[in-house]
Amino acid sequence: MAHFAKLGANGKVIQVLTLDNKDMLNADGVEDEAVGQQYLERHNNWPAQMWIQTSYNTSGGKHSSGDNTKAFRGNYAGIGYTWDEDDQIFWPKKPYASWVKKIDEARWQSPIGDAPELTQEQKDQNTALTHRWGYNWNEEGQSWDLVDSKTS
Amino acid sequence: MHKKVLSEIALYHGTIDMPKYWDIDREKLAQDILTQNLFNKEFPFSRQWDMLNTYMRDHINLEYGFSLINKKTWGNIYKPKEASLPLLQVDKVDLRNSPDFVFLYGVKLAKDSCFVRIHFDDNRRAGRSWDIPINNNQFIMFPATQMYYISPNTSDQLNFIQTITYEFI
Repeated sequence: MAHFAKLGANGKVIQVLTLDNKDMLNADGVEDEAVGQQYLERHNNWPAQMWIQTSYNTSGGKHSSGDNTKAFRGNYAGIGYTWDEDDQIFWPKKPYASWVKKIDEARWQSPIGDAPELTQEQKDQNTALTHRWGYNWNEEGQSWDLVDSKTS
Repeated sequence: MHKKVLSEIALYHGTIDMPKYWDIDREKLAQDILTQNLFNKEFPFSRQWDMLNTYMRDHINLEYGFSLINKKTWGNIYKPKEASLPLLQVDKVDLRNSPDFVFLYGVKLAKDSCFVRIHFDDNRRAGRSWDIPINNNQFIMFPATQMYYISPNTSDQLNFIQTITYEFI
């Protein structure tokens, strides 16, 4: 089963459809995205170039099998994702205005990087369920704030 | 202090922005409306109608996160000076089978020749109305519980308006 994202006029994904692999075989019997696009244009009244194949098993630039050479177009497209033709990646919605693209991992990242690791003590407290430590992004202060969601 | 909105009367409107070279052939839709009205037939399914319907369903789901299900569709023709009667698409004694939304689409209209008047109650301030112009390739969607009417056609041409009613889930 192949999956194709239907793009709106601004490159936003408006629908994701599945396609039987036999409907995207070319004359040589090889799967060809262009054949799938033509099939979808014929049957869905939407131009071929606005159907982009996406991989159900790819997320964050990684393939679920562990073999990342199979990763395809960054993320499995979802409704509301944006197609980035230059980087060949489907991007989810930007979580905060200041966040930037981390292209090699096909994900958004804060301008100061990822949240710090929790200390061993904090992890132990989370495991013991006495606390629920985690970092929340503070867009106003541009920082990661340590919070205990059990008490706050 | 907290606030909870229990109900809203939302009006969705805009233009149908199809991809380049894929504009809806509104002449074909107008012909279908004419055929339906002349011969008193059901509105025929067509590729153009499907493009319009799919566009609306996809984009409402994308922008507002709910899905529309088709109920009925038909087209109306308004002669010069002709207005509609007050219209209401819910059947108050059969709410189960009534639609949630009314979608109006400007198929072929003389520019600024009519508007849609939507009646609503704003709590104690009952009996209000909102006028919104409808032109070619523009749509308006609003709750089917609102009474509405199409104002007199001020042009000397025929105006064609497509209606689709939807349920939502």
